[in-house]
Amino acid sequence: MDSQPPAANKLLNEVVDTGLCCLCGGCSGGCPYLVPYQGRIARLDDCTLAEGQCYQYCPRTPTDMDAISEHIFGQPYGDDEIGVVQEAFLARSADPEIREKGQDGGTVTALLSLALDEGLIDAAVETRMADDRTPQGFVAQSTEDMLSCAGVSYEPSPVLQAFNSLPKESTEKLAIVGLPCHVTCVAKMKTYPPRNRVDMDNVKVVVGLFCGWTLADGFHRFLQDRFDLSQAARFDIPHHPAHTFDVYSESGMESVELDDIRHYINDACSYCWDMTAEFADVSVGSGRAAFKGWNTVIVRTRDGQRVTDIAKAKYALETQPIPTESLDNLRRASLNKKKRALASIIARTGDADNLLYLGLPRNVVDRVLAAGE
Amino acid sequence: MPDIDVDAPGRTVLLMGNEAVARGALEAGVGFAASYPGTPSSEILPAIADVAARRGIYAEWSVNEKVAIESATAASLAGIRAMASMKQNGVNVISDFLANLVMSGVGAGLLLVSCDDPGQRNSSNEQDTRPIAKWLDFPLLEPGDFQEAKDMTKWLFDVSEEFDTVCMLRCVSKISHTRGNVTLGELPAPQYRISFEADKRERGRGSRRHDDLHRRLARAQRRFEQSPFNRYVGPDRPELLIITCGSCWLHSQEAVRLLDLEDRVGILKLGTCWPLPERLIERHLAKSNEVLFVEEIDPFLERSVMELTSALSAMGPRPVFYGKRSGHVNAYGELTPDLVINAIASVMGLTYQARDKEYDREIEALPRGYVVPRAGTLCPGCPHRASFWAIKNAIRMDGRDGFITNDIGCYGVGPTPAGFFVGRDGYCMGSGAGVASGFGKLGQFGFTQPVLAACGDSTFYHAAIPALIDGIHNNSNFILVVFDNSATAMTGFQPHPGIATNAMGGPARVVSIEALCRAMDVRVEVCDPFDLKNTTATLLDMMAMDGGVRVAIMKRQCELTRARQEGPPFKVHVDPDKCVGEECGCDRLCTRIFLCPGLRWNRNTGKAEIDEVICSGCGVCADICPQGAIIREAA
Repeated sequence: MDSQPPAANKLLNEVVDTGLCCLCGGCSGGCPYLVPYQGRIARLDDCTLAEGQCYQYCPRTPTDMDAISEHIFGQPYGDDEIGVVQEAFLARSADPEIREKGQDGGTVTALLSLALDEGLIDAAVETRMADDRTPQGFVAQSTEDMLSCAGVSYEPSPVLQAFNSLPKESTEKLAIVGLPCHVTCVAKMKTYPPRNRVDMDNVKVVVGLFCGWTLADGFHRFLQDRFDLSQAARFDIPHHPAHTFDVYSESGMESVELDDIRHYINDACSYCWDMTAEFADVSVGSGRAAFKGWNTVIVRTRDGQRVTDIAKAKYALETQPIPTESLDNLRRASLNKKKRALASIIARTGDADNLLYLGLPRNVVDRVLAAGE
Repeated sequence: MPDIDVDAPGRTVLLMGNEAVARGALEAGVGFAASYPGTPSSEILPAIADVAARRGIYAEWSVNEKVAIESATAASLAGIRAMASMKQNGVNVISDFLANLVMSGVGAGLLLVSCDDPGQRNSSNEQDTRPIAKWLDFPLLEPGDFQEAKDMTKWLFDVSEEFDTVCMLRCVSKISHTRGNVTLGELPAPQYRISFEADKRERGRGSRRHDDLHRRLARAQRRFEQSPFNRYVGPDRPELLIITCGSCWLHSQEAVRLLDLEDRVGILKLGTCWPLPERLIERHLAKSNEVLFVEEIDPFLERSVMELTSALSAMGPRPVFYGKRSGHVNAYGELTPDLVINAIASVMGLTYQARDKEYDREIEALPRGYVVPRAGTLCPGCPHRASFWAIKNAIRMDGRDGFITNDIGCYGVGPTPAGFFVGRDGYCMGSGAGVASGFGKLGQFGFTQPVLAACGDSTFYHAAIPALIDGIHNNSNFILVVFDNSATAMTGFQPHPGIATNAMGGPARVVSIEALCRAMDVRVEVCDPFDLKNTTATLLDMMAMDGGVRVAIMKRQCELTRARQEGPPFKVHVDPDKCVGEECGCDRLCTRIFLCPGLRWNRNTGKAEIDEVICSGCGVCADICPQGAIIREAA
């Protein structure tokens, strides 16, 4: 018996019970003891193992950003506020049906659907909302499946539980779609390959989504009390200067004031450093007010390039260049998120050298702390 | 079980103590027998029920011991000799009825048989029921062997009629469940006659009846002075007098013989334990300077005799008393010849070495390598395991520290590893619902933990209904989980009102638990525990509902019942390539936590395996393996 505490206990003590957990689901799926349920990680039984993958891959346990960056990009971390940019552009699906289902331009669905058709992937692990709009992991194996995953829930999603649950002997080629926290967890798994889980070489493309924060802690119940969620087709938080959370259904659109739901913003998100999913192969976000109905796309790796190039070549995507100003705005927004994260973390630890889970090179930390708003 | 109505007076047969009691009742012409299953009493009723039809006897498994004694009393009042048998806890259940019964008397002979469980091997508590006879003032006999079990039972019906009172025979496991030689007596031809003469008897009013009872008891005591059930063996003036009763008589004889003290130690075995044969005891006390009491479990004879000696001014110098008060004999647990040997040796300043010390150490160490410590468990294929798994998962996912209040039955493993520690300690029949109903009323004090009451199907009929009604009426907040395996399994599959047969093998009306609960207008869900996913989801939903009483019936028949009717549904094996054993991704979930005895851990290969001899083929483990390594195929 190890004298060290079990990894699951450490995870619960250091992350889950301290308000750092973003419910990415990375600790669950391959493990019978931890399960995401109604916005928290529940422990079903006690695991005795001191070395646990739950702790190892959690995006909120010590994360060596340099090591991951070296593994994925072959270079140290931290040159650009929006991560490695091999190529950036605006895009939207060329298919009106996909555009209609998509949150902005339907780019993610278009990319995945094309990748599936071209045999680059056999399935995509995405978030799908259940009948009551609760987000959960889902393995999409057809364009129809992927269309059912389109649209943002604005709540945390334990999507990686579905990935970790895949049979470990599977040879299916996979895509994974996630928020920056999911992407960081997957990046840790790529850097330190897992045991008793599906081989990470099966993961052919990781699509990351831009994210500022999620709504949690009773937000779903808030929605259930106010709306008939079985009729809801879409949610949207239009960008600044808009100030509402919109719910679209067959009968039209209803709104709630953002000010009324700000207290549901997930506390855990205030410690998050990553806005653009910097460890993805391709990161996709909204085109914002300037380019309504379009997505901002950042291609970061060769794997990402392969998929976007084919998508463009096969006319699955319409693209246009992204103005420099837009990219700079994005950099500024991302930098602000990093500043807020550092401020929250340092306020909590009381020590500028203790950044909780963030293993950042010193120069990167200093640069962010020194930068103006 | 042998048929106990063989007509062969004088023949010696091998009978279990409980069978001997049943035979004694037959020889007394009993016409009505009622009981509720409880170890070690459970064999008495079926021994009678098996021959009931041809002897014109009515034999019943009652819903609980209270109804059993009440029904038997009706028969007695109507002129039919009647008997109610139960374990020690049943005596507690009937205590109010007994306290009233003794105030009004009986008709034909009425016998209460109480079987205690010293050592608490099969009970929720350890308890000596002898004191109730002293407390409520009625005669008590305890058999010292199997012959006496029969003969005392038969005689007690006469005693009951002569002194117009219920009488009690008290057995312990060692008598009830051991077999010995019994010489059979005459079997009367079955004939019964209804006669309400008893009701016309003049008994006086109110408290005067109590006085009358004491007088009748005093007459019984004088009769007991002559009883052959009180025996003495040993020298006329023993150095040490052992006063004993019950199976301790056998231990005492054995101890004295092993110590080779037959000409120094005398044994006074009492059979009539209340009222005590005071003159007889006095005579023996006068011939001894030292007295050792050997009895199970409480110092009942010990204290009663000590009380007696305070009143006997003419006795002369009192003997020195040894027993539980002096610490020579345990006041808990079962006694054994070794314990009695130690007590005698200690009192008499002797040393007794049963075995060479070296040899002792050697044989103690020998099995240690081979005998694996085994915790209490549930059978392979038991639906309760699946129910507890679903309950445990639902409680943990719900996240508000829900718990189960426990009750009596196979499902009573809630507080143990077999029940995944979901339960708090249980108490007695029906207390799960009662205690839960109490917890459910604590919301106003800030209590927020979800409460689930565990209750078996037989327990539901026995005792849970009043608490359920109380909870509904008072808007208590709890879920009653009925573990309905269509059996009174723990005690041996005796029928209950959910089963369409009665004790005598005839048809009986079923009273549906589900229908009863629905009639009370609360949410009732019937779940198949083997469908883990839906059962867990239903429980979660019911817990989230959080208000008033809800009932979840976990319905699936006991595996032992099912296995008698058909073969295993699945053939199950572990794929060693998929099994990850102690590694991350499992950490031995099936053999460390799920704990079905059909699964075993191979330390050499580091893989789980199915034990093909033990596995019942239920296939549930295939659903809990996180790696899908447990494969089930239709058999």
